[in-house]
Amino acid sequence: MSDPWKECMDYCLEVTKEAGKMIRDALQRDISIMQKSSPVDLVTETDQKVEELIISSIRKKYPTHSFIGEESVAAGAASVLTENPTWIIDPIDGTTNFVHRFPFVCVSIGFTVNKEIEFGIVYSCIEEKMYTARRGKGAFCNGVPIKVSGQEDISKSLVLTETGFKKDPEHFRTMMANMESILTIPVHGIRSPGSAAVNMCLVACGAADAYYHMGIHCWDMAGGAAIVREAGGVIMDVSGGPFDLMSRRLITASSRAIADCIAKKIQPFPCGRDDAEN
Amino acid sequence: MTSMESDKCWAECMDVAVEIARKAGQMVQEAVKQEKRVSSKSTPTDLVTEADQQVEELIISTLRERYPTHRFIGEESSAAGEKCVLTDSPTWIIDPIDGTCNFVHSFPMVAVSIGFAVMKELEFGVIYHCFDGTLYTARKGHGAFCNGVRLQVSKEKDVSRALILTEIGAKRDPATLNIFLENMKKLLSAPAHGVRIIGSSTLALCHIASGAAEAYYQYGLHCWDIAAAAVIIREAGGCVIDTSGGPLDLMSRRVVAAGSREMADYVVRQLQPISYERDDHQPIVQS
Repeated sequence: MSDPWKECMDYCLEVTKEAGKMIRDALQRDISIMQKSSPVDLVTETDQKVEELIISSIRKKYPTHSFIGEESVAAGAASVLTENPTWIIDPIDGTTNFVHRFPFVCVSIGFTVNKEIEFGIVYSCIEEKMYTARRGKGAFCNGVPIKVSGQEDISKSLVLTETGFKKDPEHFRTMMANMESILTIPVHGIRSPGSAAVNMCLVACGAADAYYHMGIHCWDMAGGAAIVREAGGVIMDVSGGPFDLMSRRLITASSRAIADCIAKKIQPFPCGRDDAEN
Repeated sequence: MTSMESDKCWAECMDVAVEIARKAGQMVQEAVKQEKRVSSKSTPTDLVTEADQQVEELIISTLRERYPTHRFIGEESSAAGEKCVLTDSPTWIIDPIDGTCNFVHSFPMVAVSIGFAVMKELEFGVIYHCFDGTLYTARKGHGAFCNGVRLQVSKEKDVSRALILTEIGAKRDPATLNIFLENMKKLLSAPAHGVRIIGSSTLALCHIASGAAEAYYQYGLHCWDIAAAAVIIREAGGCVIDTSGGPLDLMSRRVVAAGSREMADYVVRQLQPISYERDDHQPIVQS
């Protein structure tokens, strides 16, 4: 039986390449920064232009599909996941890195049908690494199959997470305490590259053994989730329960053992939901 | 030697350094694909592999054959008991694999770093990014380059527009981690744009030289992590100083580097120190 979503994925790949080119071109020029919810929540014209390019290209070919895009949501669009074929888009994941020309910057696209992620594409455009995964068909980087490290021993693991200014002092305190908690297990180390989707791909290709984060969005996680799962990794909620795409939080790891260990060590703090009523 | 002769000599040394850094980098690229034998040094998270030792041997033996009167400070030689003291002699200061933990995990930030000092002054630096083949070079008075393109730091003075880099260091006791996290929290609260940790001090310092980040601070790194990068940053227009705000002390195990003096001074004011034993400490001799 032929794959009903293969054509979508092939088309998505072409659109992603265009988006990546737009980002690389923008890196050669001046970048002016605007702020969204806080002084550290940055957005640029390029974020908006790239999202426009992606959504308009896809909408032309698939006019009945739904879209959840970071910049559209910022402009007031709904971010509720329905059964309808839905494209979940982060035009530039790692906008702060982009603004500084720091190497981890990507386009992230996840495609869901009946609320299940069917495929994911993450294009780390400065490194020129195209990560792709179709449900049931494996994960790839530039066409080469990738898989997680398989590490089960937390004391030999490299863990990714991100930090950032938090307005709420309790949340800030918890975020730093979680880092201390993980470091004292001990683990081999913690890395903070600055892009959620790239972080998920680093776990998927075995370069890191786990990534946890609270406060990101569905558009940061949708593409990477497909890639990590197809690379043999696990993805779950920080409570240890099943992964919830709209929960704004995740743990992803090379093995259940490592994911469970991290879930036990970290304290959650409230981060809202992407599908919350405002 | 006249100053013109020595200038020519150091230029030649630098060409040799570039050649050997590339060769060493290739050795690392091969080694990263194979199984690694890992052990630990000062703490369970201070890793070393056979590749570290083999690469350092390659670099030092090649250089020693060419320059038999020169001296060498290498990470693995020091671990094996060689003294780590900087004299007036031409001295090569080498980190064969910077980012050993990254190397073990195939996390793509690993570099070969070769620095060179004469009369205790840093003369040139070469840093080779083993995963993507990027080469960073600088010679005192001659500018800094990345793959032949001139490097220029960010002149940003405002910390609320700054991306800041750091590394955790080998010590993981509660008191140390407390200070480490407090320092990070202070800078995040400025609020800086962000703090990044990539696992290789030399490559992080190169990102200061390229302007991709505004400041770097660390406690726990070594002279072989600083030597090459300090020249690269200074030649790109940046500054490299001690965490106290005074001049860089190569053996002190600590550094602040930034594109602008204002940024460096701001970072210095936020930091609480974490102490590590100096690289040039005199070991206690048991009689």
